[in-house]
Amino acid sequence: MNIIETQDLTKTYGDFTAVSHVSLHIPKGAVYGFLGPNGAGKSTTMKMFLGLVKPDSGSFTIHGRQYPEDRLEILKEIGSFIESPSFYGNLTGEENLDIIRKILGLPKSSVADALELVGLTPFKNRLARKYSLGMKQRLGLAGALISRPPILILDEPTNGLDPIGIHEIRTLIRSLPKQFDCTVLVSSHLLSEIELMADNIGILNHGRLIFEGTMQQLKERALLKGYPTDNLEDTFLALIDADNGKGVNGYESGIGV
Amino acid sequence: MKRTGFFPAFLGGGILAAIIPAAELFFRRDSYTTGDESSLSMVLGSNWQMMAMLNILLIVSGACIMYHTEYTDRGYDKMRCLPIKESAIFLKKVIVMTGMCSLIFIIEAAAAALCISHWFAFYPGFSEELLKSFGYFFLLSLPVILTSLLIASACRNMWISLGIGVICVFTATLLPAKSFVLSLFPFALPFQTLAGTTHQEILGFMTASVLETIILGIAELIYLKIRRSLL
Repeated sequence: MNIIETQDLTKTYGDFTAVSHVSLHIPKGAVYGFLGPNGAGKSTTMKMFLGLVKPDSGSFTIHGRQYPEDRLEILKEIGSFIESPSFYGNLTGEENLDIIRKILGLPKSSVADALELVGLTPFKNRLARKYSLGMKQRLGLAGALISRPPILILDEPTNGLDPIGIHEIRTLIRSLPKQFDCTVLVSSHLLSEIELMADNIGILNHGRLIFEGTMQQLKERALLKGYPTDNLEDTFLALIDADNGKGVNGYESGIGV
Repeated sequence: MKRTGFFPAFLGGGILAAIIPAAELFFRRDSYTTGDESSLSMVLGSNWQMMAMLNILLIVSGACIMYHTEYTDRGYDKMRCLPIKESAIFLKKVIVMTGMCSLIFIIEAAAAALCISHWFAFYPGFSEELLKSFGYFFLLSLPVILTSLLIASACRNMWISLGIGVICVFTATLLPAKSFVLSLFPFALPFQTLAGTTHQEILGFMTASVLETIILGIAELIYLKIRRSLL
């Protein structure tokens, strides 16, 4: 069963097509890795799910709810972290989470739980503007996780984290479906991270979905096309090059969705 | 609003505005001559223009602080990802600002009462006149609150909204006070006083203030809808 489904989702900015006829199928309880070069349309797609960007055409349903009619209902079910962390710099980490808690109508203990989950408890009384980039990322994650939502949308959640932080967050994300029975849509430039985290992946290039499926399916199709399959990075690069029509290393065409 | 300087700014500004009539009476008591006017009318007539300007500048600055806090570290963007309507955020800001304006009017009314008791004497009907005057000022300040917040909500750069607000304040001071129509400019309304104004004009100003407040509230809702549709 798919918890998020899109049908021909399209968004253009003037002459630039950010997202072109994207039809995603994100299974419930999966960690879905969203891959693509810069400007491929990952963030735009994620923003559309949150109602931050309005699609030009196409539609999507989240947990059986339709956008835009059920926008607020959809937002109640999603914990999100989009692009760089967003917070109130004049408030402490704890106060920032308390605002979210009040809006979502959660018990007071949820703030402490979220801080503990991302390892920010020792810094809860520090002003958010004085946090390091890694701590701001963690605060953003805490804000997304505070309500234990059924759906998590995380855009580049490991940006700015040190290797230990990346490992911690990766382990956390990996554990979320089992721990909280949630579905995670996560984008990252770190292909090795996605390889270790994701059950399913979707690859975007120039706004088009050029592959969607499990990691195993990607490898099988890459083998059929003669692309390297040793690691996701090589497969990804071959796929993107082929899609760009560059034919690097002799790869002439994409794998296809 | 914690640690933004919003509350100290309003408290300090309110106290500063409240000092104006006291300072005027302390240094220029002789200029107050006994006439037909009540003591309160005389005190407000001499000082209200300056007090009103301070109040309006406070409202403009307060609105800028409020939205600067929202935009500077993208806190507003986080709110937009949560199940809360942007119009509800705006409404809460209107409520906070209205509350703070009530507080500064209370401080100013208390200062006016102290001035009357110290330099003149309380007289029958003083309390009623004081309440009417400051209730009138409060009502006429509502369009400024809405306009300032509307401008601040539209500008991510605080200096732009502050600049527009300051231009509006000085435009209001340049408008001929005797023109009823020009006095309906939202930033000119708070300069009006009860003294020397006909009953009909007072009703006109009050009605205009309520209408402007409603129209500005609707304008913000429309603006938010348009902004969302352009995403």
